[in-house]
Amino acid sequence: MKKEGLNHENIKQLLNHSVTQLERPTLTRLHHAREQAMARYSTRNTEPVFVRAGHAIWHAFGTQHKSRLWATTLLAAIILFSATAYWSQITKSDTTDVDIAILTGDLPMHFYVD
Amino acid sequence: MYLIRHYLLTFSVVILLFLPVIAEAQTWDNLTQAQREALAPLSKEWNTLQTQQQQRLINLAKHYPQLDAVQKQRLHNRLEKWSKLTPEQRNHAREKFQAFSKIPLETREQVKQMIRQQDAQKLSIPAANPVLTNTP
Repeated sequence: MKKEGLNHENIKQLLNHSVTQLERPTLTRLHHAREQAMARYSTRNTEPVFVRAGHAIWHAFGTQHKSRLWATTLLAAIILFSATAYWSQITKSDTTDVDIAILTGDLPMHFYVD
Repeated sequence: MYLIRHYLLTFSVVILLFLPVIAEAQTWDNLTQAQREALAPLSKEWNTLQTQQQQRLINLAKHYPQLDAVQKQRLHNRLEKWSKLTPEQRNHAREKFQAFSKIPLETREQVKQMIRQQDAQKLSIPAANPVLTNTP
């Protein structure tokens, strides 16, 4: 029954009452700590959207060190794979020597195209 | 340390996403004078070509100053038709060229001679034998 009576309003009243009983230096310290916490919160909110997205992705992998390590390894592997595939495609697509030989050679182009 | 790690992660993701955009398209006006001279037959359709094809043609243009007059003429004559081929047709032509390059020189010369004769015949008697014109 007592638990049911302890709602938000009761808690607020209790806290307000307790505050009035606190000593002035304690109150000042608490006030200072609150301001510091709020300042940190507002700094985080001014971060660019992509940084916040990064935080969200990072937190999506959970708080365990192991899962974050896996996430980092996976990301590194994806980047490495993409870069390798990209450069491989660039190298493969460098057909300049063959193209110039076809386009300037003494055999007509239709010999190779048809 | 926490923030650095996040910035690194975000930077990596951004790099990963923008990797294909690095090779961006070039407009005809952005080409150098030498490139425009080499690729002159494509001036009208240049901006409609795909980025990868543009890049290949730009690489091709690098060789242009080293070509002699006959080769330059051939390049200009063939460039338009070449650009209109599908990527598959161009790949097929490259494969055929590479295969032909592996044939012994003597045989290659014979084939070249035969083709020159065929072309000469076609020029002297245009459409005299339409069936023969389609034979390889």
